[in-house]
Amino acid sequence: MTLTSTPPEAEAPEIGADTPRTPARRAYEWLTPAGLGGGISRGLRGLFGRHTGALDRSAVVVSILLVAIAIIGPFVAPYDPYLAVPADALLPPGSQHWMGTDDAGRDVLSRLLVGAGTTLLAAVAVVLISTIVGVLVACVAVLSPRGVDATIMRICDIFMALPAMVLALGIAAALGPSLGSVVLAMVIAMWPGTTRLVRGILRVTMNAAYVESARVNGIGRFPTLVRHVLPNSLDSVYVQASMEISGAVVLMAGLAYLGVGAPPPSADWGAMVAQGREYITTAWWVATFPGLAITVAAIAFGLLGDVIRVRLDPSLRRKR
Amino acid sequence: MTAPVLEITDLTVSVPEVTRTDGGRGGLTLVEGVSLSLSRGERVALVGESGSGKSMTAKAVMRLDPTVDLSGSIRVVGQEVIGVPERAVRRLRGSAVSMVFQDPMTALNPVLTIGDQVAEPLRLRGVSRREARSRAIDMLDRLGVPSAARRIDAFPYEFSGGMRQRVVMAAALIGGPDVLIADEPTTALDVRVQEQVLDLLEEQSRELGLAVLLITHDLAIVAGFAHRVVVMRHGRIVEDRPVDDVFAAPQHPYTRGLLASIPSVDDDPTARLRTVDDVMQEDAALAASVILEEVAP
Amino acid sequence: MATYIAKRLGLALLSVWGVITIVFFMTKLIPGDAARVAAGRTATAEQVEQARQRLGLDLPVIEQYFLFLGKAVRGDLGESASTHQSVVSDLANTVPTTLQLVVVTMLLTVVIAVPLGALSAALRDRAPDVSARILFVLAGGVPVFWLAILLQWVFASNLGWFPISGANSFGMSPPSVTGFTLVDSLIAGSPAMFGDSLAHVILPALALSAPFMSTIARNVRSNMIGALDTDYVSFAISKGAGPYRVVVHHGLRSTMGSTLTLLGMQFGWMMGAALLVESVFALPGIGTYLNQAVLNQDTFAVLGCVLVIGIVFTVASLVVEVVQIWTDPRVRQSHLTGAQA
Repeated sequence: MTLTSTPPEAEAPEIGADTPRTPARRAYEWLTPAGLGGGISRGLRGLFGRHTGALDRSAVVVSILLVAIAIIGPFVAPYDPYLAVPADALLPPGSQHWMGTDDAGRDVLSRLLVGAGTTLLAAVAVVLISTIVGVLVACVAVLSPRGVDATIMRICDIFMALPAMVLALGIAAALGPSLGSVVLAMVIAMWPGTTRLVRGILRVTMNAAYVESARVNGIGRFPTLVRHVLPNSLDSVYVQASMEISGAVVLMAGLAYLGVGAPPPSADWGAMVAQGREYITTAWWVATFPGLAITVAAIAFGLLGDVIRVRLDPSLRRKR
Repeated sequence: MTAPVLEITDLTVSVPEVTRTDGGRGGLTLVEGVSLSLSRGERVALVGESGSGKSMTAKAVMRLDPTVDLSGSIRVVGQEVIGVPERAVRRLRGSAVSMVFQDPMTALNPVLTIGDQVAEPLRLRGVSRREARSRAIDMLDRLGVPSAARRIDAFPYEFSGGMRQRVVMAAALIGGPDVLIADEPTTALDVRVQEQVLDLLEEQSRELGLAVLLITHDLAIVAGFAHRVVVMRHGRIVEDRPVDDVFAAPQHPYTRGLLASIPSVDDDPTARLRTVDDVMQEDAALAASVILEEVAP
Repeated sequence: MATYIAKRLGLALLSVWGVITIVFFMTKLIPGDAARVAAGRTATAEQVEQARQRLGLDLPVIEQYFLFLGKAVRGDLGESASTHQSVVSDLANTVPTTLQLVVVTMLLTVVIAVPLGALSAALRDRAPDVSARILFVLAGGVPVFWLAILLQWVFASNLGWFPISGANSFGMSPPSVTGFTLVDSLIAGSPAMFGDSLAHVILPALALSAPFMSTIARNVRSNMIGALDTDYVSFAISKGAGPYRVVVHHGLRSTMGSTLTLLGMQFGWMMGAALLVESVFALPGIGTYLNQAVLNQDTFAVLGCVLVIGIVFTVASLVVEVVQIWTDPRVRQSHLTGAQA
């Protein structure tokens, strides 16, 4: 975690001293003062720079590729992923169907491409929402009197008293089979973790020297938090969030496997594995390719999280 | 004169491949052509600024740093250290030559008892647990650790800095070494404690006939402790003479600069402390002769 | 120390109570008539009404809640709508299977991942380390249910080295004493049964362990690398310590604290993921039970499962904390002198 000793406003924007400080620019600066900041170009250069190994580079590339597939997948799929063609059931991978067909004759590759959206984008959405909620609650907790703070922490403890899978399963089941319910369930399962982490960091940072000097100068706690403490603490949040995406992908796939989530004939990867399971001995491709996709996605995002972590904390570079 | 317990001949320490400050890559020589010897019971101070190579030299005696290349010869009680298998060097560590580290806070493993760590050199040589424990208590006692028998099972965090340094020394001395290398043993300590630790070192050296190589950048502590002073600069030895001679009439201009920069009680308390560079700036002749001495000694 | 444990235990139970409450009210949100579910699909309106009264479903929700709590404290968790047995006895039958699976998985993880991580650190950046790290990354991303399916297919169906599913082969189940098939077979004095039970648990445990092995191995590796860089290791080397002593005596000792904590946390996560593996291998554990209960809208069963899993999870975390305080003098100092996160 990098803690700079100058408040964000004091840093000149990298592009040029006369870049207009529009609200958008200021928001950008606020979000990225210490670590990722300095412009997308510098960020990209950093990710692909000299210190990044081949493995890291491929992780970044694959992650971007996956997100791209998630977005454009439905448009490039060769076959209709939902149309059942019983005559073509369980065809092995070949020139017509690169990944074979499933028991309803649907092209596995097409379903994979379409399912990328459900699995990946949903996972990213889950992490985004739970992170934002977690940070907000943490801020509230830190600014509140001790009683409220303790209560919030107890609430976090309650939600953390169950393994994420179990909690999400219960909630999603209660809300009915749909993508929305799974997303909500996962958000509920994941936000307390973020809150605890962020609250811990905020508490430490609030006691740092430069915050004390701000307070002494008469700046209240809330503005201090928002303008000084929070931007400098966001580094850890970014790292945590990027690590969580990998976990969210796997968790979502697991829930889909159990039958929770977008209802059939959804092409969610986890559901595809569940479908293909009974044919594993005769038609291995139906279950194997989706599982492989989940694995690749989990690994790519996990490594991406690692890369971001190392980028944000240069002291870690040598220790990998 | 008896054979030296430590004999360093023409030692060169280098790192093979590193990114240099000038941006280029290549090998870097940290220590060059160093020759030095210690006799039984002799206390020698190895003095120099940071980066002068004194720590590297010290670590090389035990081949403590596996990332550097050593060439030349180092003989510890007659046994060659360079170019021999690791196992041979390991036999010498703790029994023929020991080291006391700079920072007592980090030199001790926080999750092991001090007894465990003091007795370690003995246990590594097959001494029974019971015997090693009683010898450890003895050693701690001798070094002035109060209630040694009771505190032998305590953890390092329960001790103050000065006490921890005594524990470290106990561990270094328990194997009965002939040479003790003390790498800036007082730098991390309070001034008062510094004196205690140095006195202790001197006492042990006298009682046990222990040769001590004291690494330090602080010339002030050298005077009452060492027999000889060896001054290093930029990886080379520039002076190697008995302590009184060095303080009275330093030969090398750099040594003169070092001595001149020692603050004294009689100095103006409001004046800025002078560094060696300051001294050399003030005295152009001195600076010139330093450069001359290095180019054509 | 005792008061500290008592306080933490109290807080933990408070959390579990909180979870139960939340889940209880959530189950009331499930659309559908619980009474109808209990009475069965072919029940008449009369029978449904009877079921409703019997289960107290005609009472206001708040009353139902307190009724439930009251009974739960006395050990009665209601009756499962699908099995028509008491939830408590259902749980007694299923929990041991899951616990056994998780324990075997933990053992596997420790025995394989810790040495692997330590070795990886000691041989840092050399060939074994690099290949091990690739392995860690792969294992970390694999979804357990897929791995379970693959393992089942390759090693059970194809190669026939292991049984395909279930907890025991036909006729080989040991008489149930503790519910743990491994323990029961030992009690029954039958090595054959033990071997059979073990064979049925190995593949599921392997599948379940993959992501956890990855995390543990990486954790051990990075802690060990940190430890090997410290002054105290240098000091130990200067005393004549060889690589074995350095890694095992010094390195592992100081890394054990954080690894144990991680293991403890993983215990709970494993219980969550065990659901998936149980489903693939048809193991009659709490995971399968919960899964069925959720699908059948069997509210009492769901609540019972949540209660048990919650308790196990929080107790495991507490045990880990206590063990940590006990073994690591640094943590002991900070915790007992009142520093609380």
